[in-house]
Amino acid sequence: MNRTLALVLGAIIVIAAALLPLWIGPFYTRVAQLFFFSAGMAIAWNILGGFSGYWSFGHTVFIGMGAFSAAHIVHRLGPLGDGPLSMIVPILLAGLICGLFAAILAYPILRLRGIYFAIAMLGVSQVVGELVNNVSWFQGGIGVFLQTPVPSGTTPEDFFYYIFGGLLLLCFLISIAVRNSRFGYALLSIREDEDTAMMLGVATERYKIMAFVLSATLVGIMGSVYGYSVGYFTTYTVFRLDFSLNLIVFCLIGGIGTLFGPIIGTAVMLFITQVLLSRFLDIHLLITGAMVVAIILLMPGGIIGALRSRKRQANQVEPVEAEARA
Amino acid sequence: MTLFLQTVLNGLVLGGIYSLAAVGFSLVFGVLGIVNLTHGIFVVAGAYGALLFFGQIGIDPLVAIIPIGLVLFAVGYVYQRTIIQWAVSRASLVASLVVTFGVAMMARNGLQLVFGPDVHTITPAYSFMSLTLGPLRMDVVRLVALGASLVLLVVLALVLARTHFGRAIRATAQQPLAAELSGLNVRNLHGLTFGLGAAMAGASGAIIGIVQPFTAASEVAWTLNAFIVVVLGGIGSPAGALVGGLLLGMINAFTAQYIGPSLTQAAMFLVLVLMLLVRPSGLLGNAFGESR
Repeated sequence: MNRTLALVLGAIIVIAAALLPLWIGPFYTRVAQLFFFSAGMAIAWNILGGFSGYWSFGHTVFIGMGAFSAAHIVHRLGPLGDGPLSMIVPILLAGLICGLFAAILAYPILRLRGIYFAIAMLGVSQVVGELVNNVSWFQGGIGVFLQTPVPSGTTPEDFFYYIFGGLLLLCFLISIAVRNSRFGYALLSIREDEDTAMMLGVATERYKIMAFVLSATLVGIMGSVYGYSVGYFTTYTVFRLDFSLNLIVFCLIGGIGTLFGPIIGTAVMLFITQVLLSRFLDIHLLITGAMVVAIILLMPGGIIGALRSRKRQANQVEPVEAEARA
Repeated sequence: MTLFLQTVLNGLVLGGIYSLAAVGFSLVFGVLGIVNLTHGIFVVAGAYGALLFFGQIGIDPLVAIIPIGLVLFAVGYVYQRTIIQWAVSRASLVASLVVTFGVAMMARNGLQLVFGPDVHTITPAYSFMSLTLGPLRMDVVRLVALGASLVLLVVLALVLARTHFGRAIRATAQQPLAAELSGLNVRNLHGLTFGLGAAMAGASGAIIGIVQPFTAASEVAWTLNAFIVVVLGGIGSPAGALVGGLLLGMINAFTAQYIGPSLTQAAMFLVLVLMLLVRPSGLLGNAFGESR
């Protein structure tokens, strides 16, 4: 796409998003806020899972760790600054803690591949969740408070709408930067064939760890803000298996490994579950499951993948091997 | 000392059930290379099936194993030949993982709609009896469950080792192409293997129903347990499932007894992660060798 056109379009979308809360009611502001939060995390997941092909089934560990880190920092050190600015230090420290944890974990766990890595991450998230829940120092069982310093004159939903919107933009820009850098190409080469990449001199170990730490830091930051936005949470509010799985579903529906895939997938999925089916809470799982199955069987590359292959089909004959394999 | 022995006994009984619940998962993983996240659904479906048979017609869960196994065998066969086969051929082996996950979500929701979200238990007449051996105590249901698990595992091992069908499954697992060239219908065998795995899961579900309370949501735990058992014991063989299951049962019992009942999950996953890092193919390795 033309660069200036993309920039102009991007600016229009950002401005439109900034003005949106003036028009829509509090409920839809909350839905939009949830969308920003989920899409931001899906992008962060995609940096690791989509670009380098290491599907983590336990990213909720970083949401929980971020939220609990922020709460404990505020609780034990007292408020650092006044008003909304007091959120900055706890959020950044929470991101740092998640990044450090990921850096320590990265070396052993990234030696595992494919399904083994996925399940090991699931295990990590369960272990950390249980420890936070049962070791009394963390107070995961009884829950922690994280007061929000909402500036006077705005409602909490508007306030968090803008914060999550800003974070989504940040994640998206980072994702673009990664995708177009040497780092991003290294990750793609790891996804395509890790052994060959290593043989050709790509420092796979280092790049994998970098992607893991980056992804963890971003999710940790989002998690700490999520902690602020709910105000009071226990272990089970933030260490949730369905958080981890939703991130994967969002990316899968949009198109794993693409820039826009996570955003589109999140938008589609949230629109279906939160808006169209907001009255049918008891069949959400059924719908999500059916969507997942349908996407895999009908368009394995997600929405973006389906659009791309349609574009390609215009000037290409259907490959014969694909027919033979099916 | 009594406490220690009692804990060992508890662990063994729990482990027997874990083994049976995991052996189908292990077989499917070893032969088809598919991580079947629907596995827990088959287990829970078996438990609900036993509940229906017991509540409606008064058939003992241990007898109900046979019809439940047959039904789930058919379900598993059809499921593999359609949805999973499509996912593998259209997308990839990894995509099949996600498909099974999606089907599990749908099935869990379906079970919740049909049976409600409540916790169920099956209580046959012998469920409140217990045996004492010196200072040790054991519920009769648990011993029955352990016995039934061991019998089914031995039967499966014999089928795999001695019959033509078992040899065909093992051949397919080792070299699908060579098996096909030797005249085996690999697609059909894959379906049959998957059906066998589902039937074993259903049978274990019927037994679990009399030992533990269950809900539709416990399917997640059973799928994860099966994965842990396979990682601990080894892929594809009843012996591996038995070793892994007993080990998991021991870990569970000892953590609950000596560290704290709320930390059993954490301990299980800690062992899982450590085991993955040290020896990802399990203590007994992959039963189907180097070929995969």
